Amino acid sequence: MKLITTILIFVTLFVVGVSWVANTSRTHPITFVVPKGWPQPVYDFKQNPLTQEGFDLGKKLFYDGRLSKDGNFPCASCHQQFAAFATYDHNLSHGYNNSFTRRNAPPLFNLAWQKEFMWDGGINHLDLQPLAPITDTNEMAETIQNVLGKLKKDTAYRRMFKAAFGDENITTQRMTKALSQFVVMMVSANSKYDRVMRGEDSFNLPQRLGYEIFKRKCVSCHTEPLFTDLSYRNTGLATDDYLHDIGRMKITNDAKDSLKFKVPSLRNAAVTAPYGHDGRFASLLRVMMFYNSGVLNSATTDSLVRRGIPLSNYEIGQLTAFIYTLTDSSFLKDPRFAPPGYESRTQQAPIEHIH
Amino acid sequence: MQCNEVFLCSRLKNMNAAPVASHSCTTTILLNASGAIGLLFYRPCVFCNAVLQTIFKSNLSKNVGVFPAEYKSEPPSVRRNKSSIRDILLGTKNVFLNFIHNSAAIFLPLLLFFCNAETIAQEGSANKLVINFKNMVGGQLLQTDSVYTNTFGETFTVRTFKYYISNIVLSDDATGKKQFYKDQYFLVDEDDSTSKKIELTTTLNSITSVNFLLGVDSLKNVSGIQTGNLDPAKGMFWTWNTGYVMAKLEGNSPVAKTPQHAFSYHVGGYKKNEQTVRQINLVLPQKLICENAAVQLTVQANILAWFNTMNAIKIGDVAFCHEPGMLAVRLADNYSKMFKVVQ
Ligand code: HEC
Ligand code: HEC
Repeated sequence: MKLITTILIFVTLFVVGVSWVANTSRTHPITFVVPKGWPQPVYDFKQNPLTQEGFDLGKKLFYDGRLSKDGNFPCASCHQQFAAFATYDHNLSHGYNNSFTRRNAPPLFNLAWQKEFMWDGGINHLDLQPLAPITDTNEMAETIQNVLGKLKKDTAYRRMFKAAFGDENITTQRMTKALSQFVVMMVSANSKYDRVMRGEDSFNLPQRLGYEIFKRKCVSCHTEPLFTDLSYRNTGLATDDYLHDIGRMKITNDAKDSLKFKVPSLRNAAVTAPYGHDGRFASLLRVMMFYNSGVLNSATTDSLVRRGIPLSNYEIGQLTAFIYTLTDSSFLKDPRFAPPGYESRTQQAPIEHIH
Repeated sequence: MQCNEVFLCSRLKNMNAAPVASHSCTTTILLNASGAIGLLFYRPCVFCNAVLQTIFKSNLSKNVGVFPAEYKSEPPSVRRNKSSIRDILLGTKNVFLNFIHNSAAIFLPLLLFFCNAETIAQEGSANKLVINFKNMVGGQLLQTDSVYTNTFGETFTVRTFKYYISNIVLSDDATGKKQFYKDQYFLVDEDDSTSKKIELTTTLNSITSVNFLLGVDSLKNVSGIQTGNLDPAKGMFWTWNTGYVMAKLEGNSPVAKTPQHAFSYHVGGYKKNEQTVRQINLVLPQKLICENAAVQLTVQANILAWFNTMNAIKIGDVAFCHEPGMLAVRLADNYSKMFKVVQ
């Protein structure tokens, strides 16, 4: 009896060992590098271990129109690399059937550090984020079931799901985790500003002066190194009388949160125009003119901007020069994130815009 | 990771650790030759708790490491040592949990080896319990094309009726034994007759009450993307304001001031002041003896309760509930009264 048990144990040990080795060698793990001096990411990589196969699948999904009802609205239709994955030159983005989104598409990067998503923070996990655009009638206008159905019919997808997750099962969870693997890898931390901070480069005079002003007047909300403290604030924008967007209050039902929106990162801001939650500011200049003289006071307007943020024309120029140092061209041109087939060519923003 | 088999040392078995429930967590109990015990657990199930308690009582060893991961009813001896254990282990807890997660495959055979293990067969034979959910309107069985009238005289038809049932607990009040079904989520859907039968395996000899949550506990609302019945593709999920719809009632009523006179109550919300999960406690009219291979219970869900138990809610006044908040909470208070158990 004892002998049999012992033999059985060794057999188990062997089988488990072999299958374990076989299992791990099938996928190729990729590492998420936390830039030096940055806080630890909040995304739980243990729940979704990054692999090359998962990332490749996520990329295919991100660029695939079939995730939308009529095939025209992949994630990438609103999140374009040359605009740091915001929608280039659009206050609101186009969605299914000539509709428009109700808010300005935010750029996508450094998502691993965010606990909540959307301008109002309504989504509490990155893995759940794709479900909102896929099902929103203003965006991709599909149902999750239909999307899964389309993917299941495609042998290429079945193969890629198998490579990434071990078998051909295509589920909501696997789809959104693959998308997360792709977008969570988008880290922007190599702008001139970062190089200066690492001691590899130096600011010119306007940039340096701009940084000084920034540290006095902006940094309490647009906090380094993410250039947002990820809080929700009302900066005193007048409500749009068509959109009636109450911001964070829509999620919390709390009047204290009325008109508050997530502080956006200013990284890559030079390429993410237009600005603001509804894209009302066409340029950085307009944003700064607003801080200088446009702030409306209401019950929830942030105390830091209640009297506006006085900015002279010189200061606006220098701040702009500084914000330009936050542009990370290695990220904007990173072939890993480029549309499939365009990895070796650099995508340019269209010169003449057509929509 | 879920392991449904328990590998324990024969020594443990000799200690008469009476399992009251099937093992349904990832607890691993290590017992080496010298009698030192290492307990690595991650939300222990009832089974493991019982075993742990026996170990603690028999005072087998002082050398006990416990890793409680958010569990309400820790064994008493654990609670006594809580602060010191917490202090020591706080730092290593996470590392350890990961370690267990990642290395369970290697661990189990090792365990077997050291313990000369045997798989404990369940004591008290396992019986099947089927809980039949019957959706009712007053005294009538729900038919999706029939016209009904609520206590306010409003006539209505029902098109969709769905609700989550989770965290079921069966109890035998005479012996104090309980059996927990943690991490099991059921979606009862009027349109899907198989969903109305919940099959459980129980080792209790008799059952006097059934408790469960109507809805999905907060933990699952903040833990990212789920599968099975909690798959958002099931349509019981808000994508723009993360959270599960705990229960859904849709239909038509001539008094509804909406297009096509449709009414639709999607009740959800898990945050403070917006909680719509309700604990349901049902005492059986008479003790249910589990001696046959399959015993049956029927739980009725009465739709009329949605309108006028705790709060008066008229379709003519509010025909839509599509977000967390006051209205959802009021509806939840009402549906907390909709269940009745019949035998
Ligand atoms: C029709 C345009 C459109 C499409 C298509 C689209 N998005 Fe978006 N995305 C937006 C808009 C607009 C927002 C901001 C919405 C809000 O705050 O209410 C947003 C927000 C996000 C955010 C949150 C960013 C943050 O900082 O909070 C992520 C992540 C995201 N989208 C990823 C995706 C993915 C993945 C897909 C494809 C499954 C996708 N988007 C498809 C327009 C779009
Ligand atoms: C009280 C906190 C706060 C301070 C201080 C602050 N901002 Fe902002 N900033 C915000 C918030 C919140 C938004 C989003 C506003 C909205 O659209 O509702 C924003 C938006 C912006 C945007 C638009 C970004 C985009 O992608 O849409 C720019 C540019 C900007 N701020 C620059 C600055 C500069 C420059 C300063 C200093 C002069 C500054 N901010 C000070 C909170 C602040």
